[in-house]
Amino acid sequence: MQRLNSTADLEKLKENLLAKSKGKKVVCITNGTDGKTHHSQDVLKAFTDEIQRQGLSGKVIVKSTGCHGFCQKEPCAIILPQETCYVSLKPEDVPEAVSETLVKGKVVERLLYEDPNNSARITKESEIPFYNLQSRIVLGNNRFIDMESIDDYIALDGYGALSKALFEMTPEQVLQEVEEANLRGRGGGGFPAGKKWQTTRNAPGEPKYVIVNADEGDPGAYMDRSLLEGNPHSVLEGLLIGAYAIGSHEGFVYVRQEYPLALQNTEIAIEKAKQYGLLGENILGSGFDFDVAIHRGAGAFVSGESSALMSAIEGHIGEPRPKYIHTSVKGLWNKPTCLNNVETWANVPFIINKGADWFKSIGTENSKGTKIFSLVGKINNTGLVEVPMGITLREIVYNIGGGIPKGKKFKAVQTGGPSGGILPESMLDVPVDFDELTKAGSMMGSGGMIVMDENTCMVDTARYYTDFLAHESCGKCVPCREGLRQMLTILNNITTGKGKEGDIELLEELSEFIQEASLCALGKTAPNPVLSTIKHFKNEYEAHIEENRCPAGVCKELIAYYINADDCIGCGLCAKSCPTNAISKTKDKVYVIEQDNCIKCGSCAKVCPEKAKAVVIISPKPVSETAQAAT
Amino acid sequence: MYTKEQITPESGFQEPGTTDVVVIDDEESICEGCRQTLEAEGFRAAIARDGTKGLKLVEQSHPKVVLVDLKMPGISGMEVLAKISEFDPSIVTIVITGYGSIDSAVETMKIGALDFLTKPFAPERLIESVKQGMELGRPAKEAEVTEQAAPPLEAPEKAPLNKQNIVLKGLEVLGQYYSLGLKKQHFFDELRYLEVEAEYHAERLGLIEKKEEAILDIVHDLRLVDDIIEKYNYKKNALIQILLDIQTQVHWIPGHALRWVSTRLNIPLARIYNIANFYEALNLEPRGAHLIQICTGTACHVRGAAGLVDRVSSILGIQPGETDSEQLFTLEAVHCLGCCALGPVMVVDGEYYSNPSTKQIQEIAASCKVSREKGKNYAKVELNR
Repeated sequence: MQRLNSTADLEKLKENLLAKSKGKKVVCITNGTDGKTHHSQDVLKAFTDEIQRQGLSGKVIVKSTGCHGFCQKEPCAIILPQETCYVSLKPEDVPEAVSETLVKGKVVERLLYEDPNNSARITKESEIPFYNLQSRIVLGNNRFIDMESIDDYIALDGYGALSKALFEMTPEQVLQEVEEANLRGRGGGGFPAGKKWQTTRNAPGEPKYVIVNADEGDPGAYMDRSLLEGNPHSVLEGLLIGAYAIGSHEGFVYVRQEYPLALQNTEIAIEKAKQYGLLGENILGSGFDFDVAIHRGAGAFVSGESSALMSAIEGHIGEPRPKYIHTSVKGLWNKPTCLNNVETWANVPFIINKGADWFKSIGTENSKGTKIFSLVGKINNTGLVEVPMGITLREIVYNIGGGIPKGKKFKAVQTGGPSGGILPESMLDVPVDFDELTKAGSMMGSGGMIVMDENTCMVDTARYYTDFLAHESCGKCVPCREGLRQMLTILNNITTGKGKEGDIELLEELSEFIQEASLCALGKTAPNPVLSTIKHFKNEYEAHIEENRCPAGVCKELIAYYINADDCIGCGLCAKSCPTNAISKTKDKVYVIEQDNCIKCGSCAKVCPEKAKAVVIISPKPVSETAQAAT
Repeated sequence: MYTKEQITPESGFQEPGTTDVVVIDDEESICEGCRQTLEAEGFRAAIARDGTKGLKLVEQSHPKVVLVDLKMPGISGMEVLAKISEFDPSIVTIVITGYGSIDSAVETMKIGALDFLTKPFAPERLIESVKQGMELGRPAKEAEVTEQAAPPLEAPEKAPLNKQNIVLKGLEVLGQYYSLGLKKQHFFDELRYLEVEAEYHAERLGLIEKKEEAILDIVHDLRLVDDIIEKYNYKKNALIQILLDIQTQVHWIPGHALRWVSTRLNIPLARIYNIANFYEALNLEPRGAHLIQICTGTACHVRGAAGLVDRVSSILGIQPGETDSEQLFTLEAVHCLGCCALGPVMVVDGEYYSNPSTKQIQEIAASCKVSREKGKNYAKVELNR
């Protein structure tokens, strides 16, 4: 690889790359972590082999890309230039796709996405309803870039924004542009990035540091993983531009070790950027030096907090410290440090390239641009969605997400991770932006959006988050450490049928105390899940406490699985799937669950055929075993 | 006291039988220190400042014990030892060595040295060793060493080895250990310490039956730790990264590795324990050959991760966080793995499974058992760097 010594070198490289790929067909196969789960590597290999077998080597480029967003339908392949999109591919589908589409230019109908509403087949990825309602800016390039290729990024004008910043703008102008765009932190806080940069730039002390926070600890959010896996250079470019504006020459990327592929691809990206001279000394001949190192997080949620994260990079325990002085003034090794989330950095190149005015044209008054959400849980179309700020929750859940599977009833959507809140159906028309979500009693957070249906127990959800937070509390502040533990005990009692009158009030009281007396955001926001479930679903709490009943049929101690003899068709699938062999056949050729052996894992209910639906959950538990007859 | 020095210059003529101990070392302070210590104990000592003079002195005075420094200008300590053994094999030799050359010291023990002293050594240690040498006098010395060193190292069951070979084999293992550059003054103390460590290690791992194997395993781990620390340039702030690397490669962080990191980076052990306990990704208990992780992120949770945990638990017979008695599986309920669209997700040795059926879990468990029979097979959750 030749080092790039000037903007002209970068331009020339881009032209060469475009010329080299001109007239060639391209197959982009999703091969991120989600794709790999569905054996995308086999599909990728099948494509390479088949292309060679049919004598197309040299005429077709095969790219192993990161996640495109619609993770549920992966592995999928986009064939360019027609943009034909095949979903849920298996290796055996590949020969046909190659001979029909790549050779003859025809479309293989059966491999296309089928709209579940009207059974229409959709050819282009961008026309699939899941995608066509989104504004994919930050995630948009994921599908055209080979995860390990810097050339693919450069061919798509990558590092063009960096070149523009370095040669056509002063650091002050870059800063002004970002401030003007009102880019707010995508990690959850929503703090204006421009302001943060300005503070670090003006703070006394050298060296100054910049950090990419990819310690995406919020359960249910994975946009940072997807970005780092699929398009790490966009993050690096943003970081470089930020460093130039701030006057920093050293940066860190803090990635959780639970994301092996993101780590690997970031490492590769840094290596390749160094080879091109886009990192290191005298970048593009501009005289600007910048280096970046990776730091792996060792599995502590609280380490995602800025001061804790910096403490971890210093080699200490990742505990937060009081922020009387902001980390942007005194951060890493007590030097001015600017920390932003992956998605925030990835937005920067777009702002520099297209200008603040363009960025401001998207979104609401105080929340500009787009936001990526991970739309997951009980929803038909699961995946990553990038939408302009201001879109309503209803649009996301029903229009993009396609509603709730199996005709179940929507119950709530949880946003903002463990610090966020739960929003019931009545709040579905809330526009999604930083301020509106906070007003509604939840928060934007890093963008997790977990949809829950009638079969999700709200008390259990509150218990789940409290358990998570009690476990992740670093223990520095007593209210957080002990208070959460007490709340967890109460919630455990309620979900196991040992709840008593006054528990709800006690939970509320403890919540207030923890919010008041904790140091960092983890503690301050920890009671949110409990408070918002009590606010919107108090009846569920009461059912647990007063009737020993879990209305959603989730809390194990309060439910029992039974097979309805009248509905049982005797197929025996349940017995086969039972890990404890608790299901046996009676002489009436129907199946019955032996309650003493049942561990309530629910596998029988899962495999019971739709037409029978014989496995039922009863709550509260029947008093005697003979109750089966009563159902 | 100065007069004595002047009367008996270092290579002065000595009558046979008038000297008990000859000290050959190029460092004056060591020579003098040894002589004074030994004479205070009633031994007759003579000193020489290089190999040639030393050999001459040995030939003339015919002592019972010779202390030899390994690193000297001119003729090396190894050669001196070989010449002495040629001249009279009954002369007991003790090696003096500096930090870093301990593995060669072990080599010398193979060719017959009784003991070795690592500089700086305490006077008591010198006296103890010389006394031992004086008592030995004649060829029985090897058998004596055997009594010291053999019990800790059991002979391999298959090949019947004679005592000397057992000692040599043990020393070879220890040599490897010492070649790591450990600064230890008491060879035998260290041997006993390593013994205890090896026994503990073997017990923890279960897969190791012989102590010798355990020591080799420890040595292997420590070498690995050294490589890792070197990669991070001995930077103290890379501690977490170093521990993560050890975790990735060894699959857990054994006690000896923690102590080694502490020694090498000069960080108090307590702080290292503190960090190792704080982070979830660091395991201080050995893990099974296969790692099974179940994601408990919110998306997986609402789609029934708890049920999946129950199923896997009941099939494997272990609870999350546990390793089975055969050290075949470790089951972990982990934080969000970021595959939220596919929940509930199970990861076996780095392979992702979306919502696996009971049958699939049983098949995976069975195939792991088969691969176990092919030998020690650690989970392959390594990064491809």
